Amino acid sequence: MVSKESCRNEIRAAIRQLSDRCLYSAAKWAGEQLVGIEQDSSNFTPSNTRFQRGSPSIRRRFSTNESISTPQPSVGFSQPPATPLPQEDDVIDGDLYLLAKSYFDCREYRRASHVLRDQMSKKSVFLRCYALYLAGEKRKEEEMVELEGPLGKSDAINRELVSLERELSALKRTGAIDSFGLYLYGVVLKEKGNESLARASLVESVNSYPWNWSAWSELQSLCTSIEILNSLNLNNHWMKEFFLGSAYQELRMHSESLAKYEYLQGIFSFSNYIQAQTAKAQYSLREFDQVEIMFEDLLRNDPYRVEDMDLYSNVLYAKEACAALSYLAHKVFLTDKYRPESCCIVGNYYSLKGQHEKAVMYFRRALKLNKKYLSAWTLMGHEYVEMKNTSAAIDAYRRAVDVNPCDYRAWYGLGQAYEMMGMPFYALHYFRKSIFFLPNDSRLWIAMAKCYQSEQLHMLEEAIKCYKRAVNCGDTEGIALNQLAKLHQKLGRNEEAAFYFEKDLERMDAEGLEGPNMFEALVFLATHLKTNKKFDEAEVYCTRLLDYSGPEKEKAKSLLRGIRMAQTGFPSMDMEHFPL
Amino acid sequence: MAGLTRTAGAFTVTPHKISVCILLQLYAPSAQMSLPFPFSSVSQHNRLGLYLLSLTKSCDDIFEPKLEDLLNQLREVGEDMDAWLTDHLTNRFSSLTSPDDLLNFFNDMRGILGSVDSGAAQDDQIILDPSSNLGMFVRRCILAFNLLSFEGVCHLFTSIEVYCREAHSSSAQYDASNDNLESLIQHDQMDMEKYIMDKATEEIELQKNASGSVPFHLHTPEALFKVTEGLLVTRKEKSRTNMKKTEATPLACASSSTADDTLVDESLFLRTNYQIQGCLMEQADAIETHGSSLSSSSIESFLQKLQNLAPELHRVHFLRYLNKLHSDDYFAALDNLLRYFDYSAGTEGFDLVPPSAGCSMYGRYEIALLCLGMMHFRFGHPNLALEVLTEAVRVSQQLSNDTCLAYTLAAMSNLLSEMGIASTTSVLGSSYSPGTSTASSLSVQQRVYILLKESLRRADSLKLRRLVASNHLAMAKFELMHVQRPLLSFGPKASMRHKTCPVSVCKEIRLGAHLISDFSAESSTMTIDGSLSSAWLKDLQKPWGQPVFSQESGSRKSSTFFQFCDHLVSIPGSVSQIIGASYLLRATSWELYGSAPMARMNTLVYATLFGDSSSSSDAELAYLKLIQHLALYKGYKDAFAALKIAEEKFLTVSKSKVLLLKLQLLHEHALHRGNLKLAQRMCNELGGLASTTMGVDMELKVEASLREARTLLAAKQYSQAANVAHSLFCTCHKFNLQIEKASVLLLLAEIHKKSGNAVLGLPYALASISFCQSFNLDLLKASATLTLAELWLGLGSNHAKRALDLLHGAFPMILGHGGLELRARAYIFEANCYLSDPSFSVSTDSDTVLDSLRQASDELQALEYHELAAEALYLMAMVYDKLGRLEEREEAAALFKKHITALENPQHEEPNMA
Repeated sequence: MVSKESCRNEIRAAIRQLSDRCLYSAAKWAGEQLVGIEQDSSNFTPSNTRFQRGSPSIRRRFSTNESISTPQPSVGFSQPPATPLPQEDDVIDGDLYLLAKSYFDCREYRRASHVLRDQMSKKSVFLRCYALYLAGEKRKEEEMVELEGPLGKSDAINRELVSLERELSALKRTGAIDSFGLYLYGVVLKEKGNESLARASLVESVNSYPWNWSAWSELQSLCTSIEILNSLNLNNHWMKEFFLGSAYQELRMHSESLAKYEYLQGIFSFSNYIQAQTAKAQYSLREFDQVEIMFEDLLRNDPYRVEDMDLYSNVLYAKEACAALSYLAHKVFLTDKYRPESCCIVGNYYSLKGQHEKAVMYFRRALKLNKKYLSAWTLMGHEYVEMKNTSAAIDAYRRAVDVNPCDYRAWYGLGQAYEMMGMPFYALHYFRKSIFFLPNDSRLWIAMAKCYQSEQLHMLEEAIKCYKRAVNCGDTEGIALNQLAKLHQKLGRNEEAAFYFEKDLERMDAEGLEGPNMFEALVFLATHLKTNKKFDEAEVYCTRLLDYSGPEKEKAKSLLRGIRMAQTGFPSMDMEHFPL
Repeated sequence: MAGLTRTAGAFTVTPHKISVCILLQLYAPSAQMSLPFPFSSVSQHNRLGLYLLSLTKSCDDIFEPKLEDLLNQLREVGEDMDAWLTDHLTNRFSSLTSPDDLLNFFNDMRGILGSVDSGAAQDDQIILDPSSNLGMFVRRCILAFNLLSFEGVCHLFTSIEVYCREAHSSSAQYDASNDNLESLIQHDQMDMEKYIMDKATEEIELQKNASGSVPFHLHTPEALFKVTEGLLVTRKEKSRTNMKKTEATPLACASSSTADDTLVDESLFLRTNYQIQGCLMEQADAIETHGSSLSSSSIESFLQKLQNLAPELHRVHFLRYLNKLHSDDYFAALDNLLRYFDYSAGTEGFDLVPPSAGCSMYGRYEIALLCLGMMHFRFGHPNLALEVLTEAVRVSQQLSNDTCLAYTLAAMSNLLSEMGIASTTSVLGSSYSPGTSTASSLSVQQRVYILLKESLRRADSLKLRRLVASNHLAMAKFELMHVQRPLLSFGPKASMRHKTCPVSVCKEIRLGAHLISDFSAESSTMTIDGSLSSAWLKDLQKPWGQPVFSQESGSRKSSTFFQFCDHLVSIPGSVSQIIGASYLLRATSWELYGSAPMARMNTLVYATLFGDSSSSSDAELAYLKLIQHLALYKGYKDAFAALKIAEEKFLTVSKSKVLLLKLQLLHEHALHRGNLKLAQRMCNELGGLASTTMGVDMELKVEASLREARTLLAAKQYSQAANVAHSLFCTCHKFNLQIEKASVLLLLAEIHKKSGNAVLGLPYALASISFCQSFNLDLLKASATLTLAELWLGLGSNHAKRALDLLHGAFPMILGHGGLELRARAYIFEANCYLSDPSFSVSTDSDTVLDSLRQASDELQALEYHELAAEALYLMAMVYDKLGRLEEREEAAALFKKHITALENPQHEEPNMA
């Protein structure tokens, strides 16, 4: 385990270096982690306490403090060779650099790069290239609007990429490039579509300077499969754990990711970032109650946070907490209304209220702000499904899938939409796709089984197979067992049917449920056992039925009569029952 | 979807259009312009005008020519004043150094338009009529320019720079010595822009210094331009025009030229919907026509480009699906098909189908099902295909989309008839029953028939002409192959009443071909602007470009003529494809009915007229038919030579049948020459082909075992041969392959004849004849009659008279339409009959016998059929001997010996064909 103090020192220096190079979001991230490290009590200054005053987590903080204060057993994590912090060439920075940086801060990127045109220090070169890159990006965005053709033409490209690539590759060849330059080189290569080279460059960058979170997240976006991730040759550093956590999450390996974050919480016990990421993972595991608590806590510590709040709104939506959702939407809107997340939250709110047109409008706005905002596409698809506009829904889902082909929700939505249109066979393909990405979700299997079961297809054997898979995946809603029993009954396989009815009964007993399914199971089991001459067991089920009122009671009575008759009516056959 | 309607028909200013405007300025200089009038003759002036007209016509084409191409064309048009024209064009471009110049340029353009009331114009000034074609073009350009925002003008300005620069860089590629330009190539776009900018500022400074008197000259020396151009042009022009050639070689060129167009063309300008759709249509046609010989990656890169330019153009996905379909990539094809329909809901691109009410809300997903079904069919998943098509039927009924229903039913019947009954019965249990509810009890044949009828009825009422036509053809095929009534009491007794009806086949085919008159009669709405206008330019260019590629003009003539006609009456490719198919079907039906010349003629018609517009697999079929004909009537030498050509042309076609034909020919050849080992090997290879993974092809299987039986027969293993033939007959019966049954029966008769068991053979021969009668297989019947006669003769010489009568009855058919082998057999048999007839005396009537024998031996020479030839020669020698003509006898005997030795040592003459 690395010591907190060393972490703290590393981050402090890194923040300074990052913001000196105008890598602001990386600096921001590092700053969040810096405050996330639990403080030494000796270091407490009034300003520190002010930051934590009124927060309920203070109590938690002090209570955990005691438990952690004992030296932790290091869990197989060897102390990495400390990466030395690069020495700054501050002194020779010069006035021009200062001027360029202030231009940069005022978002006059081209001006900034022009100021640095003849500067040869690595730092200046980086800032010049970075400013040029951003200028190109800005121009690209503008051109995208200007050039928009009838068919969504968007051939706007960052016109600086070519020259940047040339310059950076030349620098790399001569070795006159630092880790920040490597990061920029990686970004440029990625934009140009050269993914493997981009990965190599980014790996080199994070190995030499691990504190640049932007580099890590670029690298993460290039790791689209676990094989790629495992093939990366990364030095051990605590930043790598952050990286792995987020990469695992993207690859839907939620428990692995949770383990990483749990480990990191040993040092960064108060990091909002880690808390949000943990909540995300828990959300994927459908632990909604836990996620809600985490987000509430997060919002108390950081009330103006917008990131990840769309996830929170999803949780609130799932729990149908209208008031809380509207409160969240209001707050977020006051903070920053032009964030895709904010629009998404409002969309969720309207959707919950059943005002689907408005919801669609807000999702659209979110998409206008960010065309590749995956969840907005999917949610919009859901809205269109609600509005019975299937073709629009299909379009939206398809876009989601094309943004990220691993989005099982959108695949599922596509399947659902086609099923709604009476094309179950066509829908099967999509269900298959969604199951491919999430094979352990019983809901998907049940949806597929229903498709097979539909009257148009009537492929019952296949439906049975799907339900069996659903049962194996731990079907929480108990649909699968009941359906399995019914299907077997329909196909005249009474033994199998009895088996599944019994199982279903056990499940309902365990969960304390009652209802028509229960009656059905009891009636079937009683009749089945009676015909198989297992009168004692049949009687047990009949007596259970007698507890309820309604037609089932009458049925049970007649069954019981039948059993008595069978037992007494044929004494010659059942002599042993009457030991006279 | 939404994007499609927004600016359909928009007309945007592009650098190419500006070039055209500049040329127009030259053509009709305005009064205040101080340009000298450069034309030396009126005809020269007119020539430029004509060229400009074609340019304006073709400016709706999706690909705009690059400056370089334009300059080349100008050189051809301009003759002696080409330098002046090109110079002016390039100078004019280089004088556009700021957005303001553009503004001024378009202001000047107004000057060349005459106003309506300008009667006062001088006589010698040429004024464009504002409502003429050229005037219209100018007005549209001016309007489009005026509508541009400042940003738009800036973008136009940059694209002009790119446009000019491309011309330089491509010409610079051929000149390595020029340092300045070489460095240009190495640098990429960005750098070039800077370079140009530098040049521009430099020039501004220059102008300042010299107070505007120094004209900015293009940085490429003119001389350099000229030297390199010559080489470059011819190559490019050639490959482009090659696309239209019918021969085998240009296919590769065609693909490379599209690659040229797309890969090199950095600034692919995107224009109106119509143009893009037209272009996509062309691509789709190209994919179908050239099959997988068109490199799929070049199309892929083109599509990629198009998608980058127009992400909302979903048709691209469909094209990609087609492309993948033809390159047999199942997963990618499936993926793209689904993606296309997810995005467009089937409403984009299927403009040809009249929109029915209410479809906009639900989309047209039934079409997706239809396409998916056909895809599964193509990839050899008949059961899946049937499931999907059943769903398509259901959905289109539900949405009352009759058009789609008609197509789906046609597809279904096609599927069923192709697939046979092998695997359907279980699948169809729960599915569709059209009209009547008793469908599940019907045989597949009947179901196919009902489906076809239904489809035809709907298509007829919906006026879907092409579907009607293709349904008629399918019907013709059905009628050709199947007897209408249930085939339960089929056999020699009941056979006379159950017959196929050639008249109805003929009628159906004729109805199918009616399509063409329908299309030329109505004003066609089917042509797509883009393809038509591009064709315009291509056609107009031809006379000028002729000298460059005159060496290949001969072979191209017929096809270009028809293409030209195509454009004039604008018959869409699909129509001519169907018409072509009708000719193919006609050929096949004549083949079955036994008229060789008719079959050959129809095939030839197809190959010459429709070879270009047809899909490659159809063209291949026509070629194969012709080759088969050659083998049967001209001998193997010609056939193998033709096969070689076909192989080169069609080997890349997926599921190519060339290999099959080659094996068949080799097998036949080997059998005739008595090389049984080789024959056996070919047979085994055929069997190997039959068990491919691409689904079972019944025809192929039957063919393979038929040949196996014949090989065994040739090897004199009679009982084995009979066994194989028997089991084959059972298979044919099981899968209802009636026509094959007839030939298997004949084979059985043949086996019994050869084994000397004539009595057993007789019923088989008779059964075969009755089959032939009910299916009107006249040629096969003639050959069965021949076998029957042979069997009679085999019963003893007292039956010679009867045999001869039978033979003479069949003679007209055999001599008129039979192949070499059949004819020779008949001749020999006739001689045999005479000779074994006790009442026949050789000495008096020798010529009747000798004539036929001579004829037979000649024909057999061509076939290299040693066994039969030896027999003929033997008989000849015997007759000569009887007549006492010793010299001729010796000659015949020597030839006989030669054939016998060749038969005994088949390996001796090496089989060079294998």
